[in-house]
Amino acid sequence: MLDQAFEALKTYDWGADPKILNPIDEAVVATRGDNAARQELEARLLAVLKTDVSRDAKDVVCRKLRVIGTAASVPALAELLPHQDLSHMARYALERIPAAEAAQALRDALPKIDNVLKIGVLGSLGARQDVASVPALVALLGDADAAVARSAALALGAIRAPEAASALREAKPESDELKTAVTDACLACAEGLLAAGKKGEAMAVYKGFIGEDQPKHVRLAATRGMLACAGKSE
Amino acid sequence: MGKCSTPTRREFLKTAGAAIAVPYVITSSALGAENIPPASDRIVMGGIGIGNMGRGDQGAFLGRADVQYVAVCDVRQGARDQAKGKVDAHYKNTDCQAYNDFRELLARTDIDAVHVATPDHWHAIQVIEACRNGKDVYCQKPETRTLREGPLMVEAARRYSRVVSGGSQRVLGDYRKIVDPCWGGELGTIKAINVNVGPLSQICNLPAEDVPPDMDWELWLGPAPWAPYNKARCDGNFGTGGNSWRSYVDYSGGGMTDWGAHHFGGATFAVDVRESQPEEVIYSDDNGRKYLTYRYPNGLLIYHNRPGWGNLQIEGTPDEKVAAKPVPSYKGTGGIYGDFIECVKTRERPFRDIELAVNTVMLSHLGIVAYRLQRSLKWDAAQQQFPDDEEANRFLDCARREPWQL
Repeated sequence: MLDQAFEALKTYDWGADPKILNPIDEAVVATRGDNAARQELEARLLAVLKTDVSRDAKDVVCRKLRVIGTAASVPALAELLPHQDLSHMARYALERIPAAEAAQALRDALPKIDNVLKIGVLGSLGARQDVASVPALVALLGDADAAVARSAALALGAIRAPEAASALREAKPESDELKTAVTDACLACAEGLLAAGKKGEAMAVYKGFIGEDQPKHVRLAATRGMLACAGKSE
Repeated sequence: MGKCSTPTRREFLKTAGAAIAVPYVITSSALGAENIPPASDRIVMGGIGIGNMGRGDQGAFLGRADVQYVAVCDVRQGARDQAKGKVDAHYKNTDCQAYNDFRELLARTDIDAVHVATPDHWHAIQVIEACRNGKDVYCQKPETRTLREGPLMVEAARRYSRVVSGGSQRVLGDYRKIVDPCWGGELGTIKAINVNVGPLSQICNLPAEDVPPDMDWELWLGPAPWAPYNKARCDGNFGTGGNSWRSYVDYSGGGMTDWGAHHFGGATFAVDVRESQPEEVIYSDDNGRKYLTYRYPNGLLIYHNRPGWGNLQIEGTPDEKVAAKPVPSYKGTGGIYGDFIECVKTRERPFRDIELAVNTVMLSHLGIVAYRLQRSLKWDAAQQQFPDDEEANRFLDCARREPWQL
């Protein structure tokens, strides 16, 4: 049955009955705890990824690798990151594969891919809370493409590494959309600082957002944060 | 909220009347009239996603005298036009703005609050972005599509002190017949309750069809994986059998989340665990009939699809005397919608505060992971992950298609 499913994958495309691939899902469950069998299944999926099957079939493979992929899957998935049609599904797997190599592949792709795909990679690095990518993200805060800068800011907010807070405070966002993202990331980092017991550093961040030039809800967030630093709650 | 601190139009006119030299016609609507608050005291609202549920939400808010409805957003021109037409007919003008892209609506500084009724895969992005832009939000259930989204939505709401209500008018509506005896003490100490709901959503691989000319397919898909348009892939009907987005994993958890938000909502309310999360999900196979047991830190059990148990069947200790507790209810008037609006005014947390809504729908998501992996799971509510369970943690979230991120 599994062999038939892999055979079907060779010609799988939109409109085919997805149930014909059920044996692959069953194999994912059945190989739990059996490293050798799991590695063999992963290798079979990777072999499909390297052939000229349809986008849909590669989509299927990436979905399975999201569940069972290991460091062994990273090189083949990394090759897909620059491709407009396949980048997202490569990240669909890479973002959830815990291996350090997956994060490295995402970081390595940043200087090599176009801005739209770069935004996707930045989002995945943020979702992974990849601390090692903070320097690269900080560097992108000043990117000429505001959408890239925004994405870098949001990713820094998701990671909330203490070293990101000062870089975010120094950012000079021009557009409202970028300002919103940088503000949110700053506040997120301040929460991270507070949670780590770094009340003084958190307070410094919050003080930057209580001016009359800030929107009311941001001043409110900063005020709440300052109260939290002072040990007072609502 | 700005409406509480800025002077009303009446106050402005009292102090500045002598300075107004030019004729200025002030409508009775602007000044307010009996039962109609002045314009400056109304909550200014917009709607994002005006399909089957969105139309109902729009109607509820539009019909309120204390709401000024100013904008609609939908990726289908037809839905946009219809939604705008409804607002214009109500106010007898053409002031309502219609948007294809929700970001333009959220960027408006005059809008206080929004209601969101897009497909589930959009909810988290739109709710969080609304909070970042200072808006209060009423979000349809199920509020999330993945486990990672819920805590981030709660975080955004708390960070900016926004009023964020989940949906499900049924929690306080349909389930009173079990809520009252539980809270009234008649059933003694509650031990367990069962929820029958499903099915799980499935992979969609429908063939390509031509995209209707009035639909922005790219924006409908948004963060979901790219796929060709097919009417059954994106139809907003309430089915989960393959002819609607509710059927498919990239947009929904299926009936498990869609009706699960209602039934788990009623169950967690009745047995009073709204404010907590289970610490274990036990997967069982009773002669081929799979079911789950959610075990809470206080020992209470919620079953999912337990064989031999009816939906919302309760096990308690009816012979034991237990003191009655007052049942929480909506604030204001007008059901769950009125509760949201009242809380926008008073800044209290609504009946379906987003944290309570997330605690409900996560039962659906935890269950989906357990069924997919066909085994039991432990859950760490403080860390919001499966402890020491790399395999299960892969299911916490799905990578979003560029350019979308939380």
